[in-house]
Amino acid sequence: MTLGRLPSVALAAILVAAPGLIYAAMAQTQSDTPAPDRGRGAIIAAQGTASGAPACALCHAFDGASDGSGAFPRIAGQPASYLATQLGYFASGVRNSAIMSPIGKALSAEDVAAVTAYFAELDVPFLPLAQPDETLVKAGQELAKVGNAARGIQACDNCHGPEGAGEPPVIPYLAGQYASYIAFELQMWQSGYRTSSPEEMAPLAAKLTAEDVAAVAAYYQQVRGSDAIVAPQ
Amino acid sequence: MADVLQSVDVVTIGVGLTGTMAALELGKLGLKIVGIESGAPRETVPDFQSPAIHDELRFSIRKAMMQDNVKQTVTFRNSSDQTALPIRRWQSFLPGTGLGGSFVHWNGQTYRYQVADFIYKTHLAERYGANFVEQCGPELIVQDWGVTYDELEPHYDRFEYLLGTSGQAGNINGQIVPGGNPFEAPRTRGYPTPPMKEPYFGAIFRKGADSLGYHPYPQPSSNLSQPYTNPEGLELGQCVFCGFCERYACEHFAKASPQTTMLPVLLKMPNYELRTNCQVLKINLDSTGTQATGVTYADATGHEYEQPANLVLVTAFPLNNVRMLLVSGIGKPYNPTTGEGVVGRSYSYQTTGGATVFLDESININPYMASGANGTVIDDFGGDNFDHAQLGFIGGQYVGAIMTSGRPIENHPTPSGTPAWGLEWKQAVARHYNHTILVGQYGTSTSSRLNYLDLDPTYKDAWGMPLLRMTFDFPENDIRMSQYIADKVVQIGQAMGGTSIIRGGTTRPYTTTVYQTTHNAGGAIMGADPNTSVVNRYLQSWDVHNVFSLGGSAIPQNAAYNLTDTVGALTYWALDAIQNQYLKSPGPLVPK
Repeated sequence: MTLGRLPSVALAAILVAAPGLIYAAMAQTQSDTPAPDRGRGAIIAAQGTASGAPACALCHAFDGASDGSGAFPRIAGQPASYLATQLGYFASGVRNSAIMSPIGKALSAEDVAAVTAYFAELDVPFLPLAQPDETLVKAGQELAKVGNAARGIQACDNCHGPEGAGEPPVIPYLAGQYASYIAFELQMWQSGYRTSSPEEMAPLAAKLTAEDVAAVAAYYQQVRGSDAIVAPQ
Repeated sequence: MADVLQSVDVVTIGVGLTGTMAALELGKLGLKIVGIESGAPRETVPDFQSPAIHDELRFSIRKAMMQDNVKQTVTFRNSSDQTALPIRRWQSFLPGTGLGGSFVHWNGQTYRYQVADFIYKTHLAERYGANFVEQCGPELIVQDWGVTYDELEPHYDRFEYLLGTSGQAGNINGQIVPGGNPFEAPRTRGYPTPPMKEPYFGAIFRKGADSLGYHPYPQPSSNLSQPYTNPEGLELGQCVFCGFCERYACEHFAKASPQTTMLPVLLKMPNYELRTNCQVLKINLDSTGTQATGVTYADATGHEYEQPANLVLVTAFPLNNVRMLLVSGIGKPYNPTTGEGVVGRSYSYQTTGGATVFLDESININPYMASGANGTVIDDFGGDNFDHAQLGFIGGQYVGAIMTSGRPIENHPTPSGTPAWGLEWKQAVARHYNHTILVGQYGTSTSSRLNYLDLDPTYKDAWGMPLLRMTFDFPENDIRMSQYIADKVVQIGQAMGGTSIIRGGTTRPYTTTVYQTTHNAGGAIMGADPNTSVVNRYLQSWDVHNVFSLGGSAIPQNAAYNLTDTVGALTYWALDAIQNQYLKSPGPLVPK
């Protein structure tokens, strides 16, 4: 979790649903299971596992920022529970990926807990990227924060949190995610290839045009979380 | 002087559930329709946006979606010998305002009434004898509706398919279906979408209820279990269990409301015009007083207009329907002393209450993962589903674990004896917040000669019109009924593993300072006899044939269940009569 994102997450916690009590309750729920071994997670990230999973760092970088090409998502600071769920989907084929599915299968439950806990706690800077197209960003911002009344599209932020900060533990952040990755995944939903979130993301993606996809992707890539927190009306 | 506008075919007073349904249905016939709404316009996008729409202080506590009490409210007293005072802050019930009305901030609980509910008087007399109701309470008024369940069934069905309601049928064409409510009236087909997933608190309730031989089933919900495209071609989304339904609007297109099920189609119709922030002052009558000529309303600046119309549909909140008829002089006002007159008579409510069941700390409820209608209920004590012969009361309640949210300002259950503030209170909240289940009781409210609505002699609204005065207390019959069921609920709580239980049940006197339910019913009731009803079986005024009063105000006595589904069915039923009978030959549809 980046420092830049912290305030907006805190804001989401206050505004959206979660009082301190809820986190207390969650902590209570989780206290029964042993804490995941982040050190072991770091080793998996750097070296892979004996069971055949290659090092995560090969594509996602050791710090989870990936390489800036946009071919691989940024996973640093993404909720552990979300990352673990997705690894499960890769393993089961709900998300079918020639690269990630074999990795998902190779990781044991303990591996998954360790490596997702490792990446979830990382606080790393954003890589320098090319200047975005301002028109595209503006269109994307409109869709992300307001939605589209005529086409019945709700704001992305309704679920992904203010400024796309995420709604841990279930919903990933979009702020600072690579545009190519966001666009690619939306296209996967549109084509029916990605079958996770069939009742939320699939119908939403179906309503988006190619321009919409490019716009929201461009918008979220350049959001840094701390720079645009607005108080609700 | 009011500006006189061009005449239209139909005007609706209010654009909530019934006003939207009516305009859409009659608009499809090509009629020129004007909808007059006292509140502001609003749409899912951009008005219902997270996180602002989840502001508990603004919406739950300060009630941003409700009518502004500074401009308009209701005066209240428990009995005729008291002086009524204005309700200056909505608490007991929450009349909504704005486009879509109260159907925006509802919870989505979608029940049909039972066969017996519509022929309640006949049914009780047949089962228990002609004097039974009198013995339960000489002040009670019990009437048949003038319409039967079988007549309404196709309209229930159509309304549920409009909403996309998620549920498990219990009785299809007389065949009991496992998993549903075995007591329900027969439906011709299943719900449009499957029931919502059972929450943990529902599963615990189910286990307890099962062990006592009751019949638990998933509460029918119009917060949808899966995406759905309704017959109007509108797409609804899947509920995400955010826990902000009642008192809130849904940003996910997942709760059925005028905005998600009808308005996008209606607002595109060239023959429909919506006028918001306009307050209807009265329905105008011709010199004979037997025909309406239109309505007079004030816009946001206070400027008055006269809108002539051939047909006037009263489609406001039930209490406002009654007031509109009273201020317009339509129908004879009820006189509690003589028992004569009908407008304002048979105002009923809904009995509520329920037990708080405290559980062991190892059981995590996670109440914030919630939806307004998600839960598990039993109907074993609903309506007349159990034998009342030896009980000395009529009526019943459905019972269930329906936890609609875990919002922090409103939800902090603590056991009896906990201080109301301070360190001990905080510790108790932290201990119990995630380990407590509320088991609700919701049920019948019997009409009484002592309870009624009329115009307040003293207090006026911002437009100078008299406020509606409510005279109401629960009849002793309803208290006995609720307390009888409260004992059963304690047993269920014990079977659920409750370590301690706060017993529920309705008590007297009724107070308007604690939230109970927004199912205000009656006051302009339907029936077969003009001496005991305001509107006929088609919701048409007995006295002014081109005025129809649609909505919960038509319900003669409230049956156990939340009334929205029945309001929808009655509205489609009335619109069918308007379309197929009235428009072809305008006049009284039932001879007086």
